[in-house]
Amino acid sequence: MPMNDNVIINVENLHKWFGKLHVLKGISFSVSPKEVMVIIGRSGSGKSTMLRCLNFLEEPSSGTISVDGETAIIAPRVKVDPKKILAIRLKMGMVFQDFNLFPHMTTLGNVIEGLITVKKIPKDEAIAIGEKYLAKVGLLDKRDVFPIRLSGGQKQRIAIARSLAMEPKVMLFDEPTSALDPELIGEVLDVMKQLAREGTTMMVVTHEMSFARDVADQVIYVDHGEIVEQGEPQDIFNNPSDERTRIFLRTFLCTD
Amino acid sequence: MSVETIIEKPPERPNNNQDMGEVLIAHQKKMGFFQNVKVGSVWIALILIVAVALLQLRFDPGYIGEHYAFVLQGILTTLGLSVASIAIATILALFGALGKLSHNSIAQGIAGFYVSLVRGTPLLIQIYIIYLGLPQIGSQLQSMGLTQLGKSLTLTAIQSGILALSLNYGAYMTEIFRAGIQSISHGQWEAAMSLGLSSWQTMRRIILPQAVRIIIPDIGNQFIAMQKDSALVSVMGVWEITYRANRFGRKDSKFMEMFILAACLYWILTIVSSWLEERLEKRMAHAYER
Repeated sequence: MPMNDNVIINVENLHKWFGKLHVLKGISFSVSPKEVMVIIGRSGSGKSTMLRCLNFLEEPSSGTISVDGETAIIAPRVKVDPKKILAIRLKMGMVFQDFNLFPHMTTLGNVIEGLITVKKIPKDEAIAIGEKYLAKVGLLDKRDVFPIRLSGGQKQRIAIARSLAMEPKVMLFDEPTSALDPELIGEVLDVMKQLAREGTTMMVVTHEMSFARDVADQVIYVDHGEIVEQGEPQDIFNNPSDERTRIFLRTFLCTD
Repeated sequence: MSVETIIEKPPERPNNNQDMGEVLIAHQKKMGFFQNVKVGSVWIALILIVAVALLQLRFDPGYIGEHYAFVLQGILTTLGLSVASIAIATILALFGALGKLSHNSIAQGIAGFYVSLVRGTPLLIQIYIIYLGLPQIGSQLQSMGLTQLGKSLTLTAIQSGILALSLNYGAYMTEIFRAGIQSISHGQWEAAMSLGLSSWQTMRRIILPQAVRIIIPDIGNQFIAMQKDSALVSVMGVWEITYRANRFGRKDSKFMEMFILAACLYWILTIVSSWLEERLEKRMAHAYER
């Protein structure tokens, strides 16, 4: 499929093998600019692996990944050009389940690290940008604090600011609230909802079904490394066409 | 009992608990102090027992009094050797660890060979090979026309000592650095890579600063061990503590006096070093204090 103005991410026939384990079995999808795509599925279904393959934290086994005009064609035993990987990574920001803040740096240090080391932006400019994004997630007052002094929710908001500061085209969220105490989930989801309202293109792997229902433009249900169902949230939640989706949603919505 | 009294009780309890806690902490501090005094007294008693026993056996403290200055001058040499060697060893260890962790088979092979060879042979033999063995190869090279290279293989005793200690400790510290680097969670790599940092940038900016903090106590231990191992370079006639003590002890047959003096000097050096290391450790913990 040729890239057009209305597609910012296009993935075709993505496969991932871990040794003999076939984790992704030919995934294809596309995301439009400003779209929020939520990926749901059981643990071990391959949904996180799919997200991690997009920015090459896991090396995909084969397939095609295009992000905003940068295309990587992955084939077995062919090394993808590291410059291509870097170019694709810079198009995407990633937020992790375990935050992965750099503990030896202040929150501001975390947020400006990529600006200074990768983008080579002068320090005073980087600080200005960093402060802007700390303010955006409502934590400018924690600018000089080290991560150990933050709550889980605050850590995740800083991690979001760190990714946003690089001004990526797409934000990837890999179960951003799964490591949080229930009372801290809301503040992180609020930041994500705000980003969605502002038109940030987002791909979100999550178990927060209410977030999927309220915020997503498109929902993908992944099972055993395949996209089983794809569509608008009301269709998937109210009227799933596949039996597996139906069972998954029933167990999940009951415990939600 | 009415409902109100049940509800009213809880707010008082935290205060009680806090008071209890403070009393407990004060008690523990007091007990800790007494314990330290007792342990300290045991140390003093042990030193006194040894001192009295030695004096009964015609140990001559006056001899130490006459010649301590001569031995004391060796402290600077011992410290200089150790500081220079630990600095070079740290650099060697860093490259050794990067080599061991690299996916490049040549780098991995070189690093593994270096660590295995050096850890598998005695430091004294390494000193002999560098100080006595290398000049033999050097003179052979000179006779073959490679004058400059040949000459450069003849090292002074101090140079040989620093080279041997650096190589030796670099090998041990390679394993320390490797373990420290590996102890940093994989998520740190992933976060840095997702921001676009290269492997080298991630290593330098994210992983090493965290790893170094973890291994500071081990490096400190190595530094302390090295100060003592530096006594071995006295075999080459370097005028450090051990050599100086030996020289006088031998001349006047006052071995016990001179070597006890030397031992005490090493002991003091290591106590000061561990104190400095603890302070450094505390300073580096700053980012990790709640």
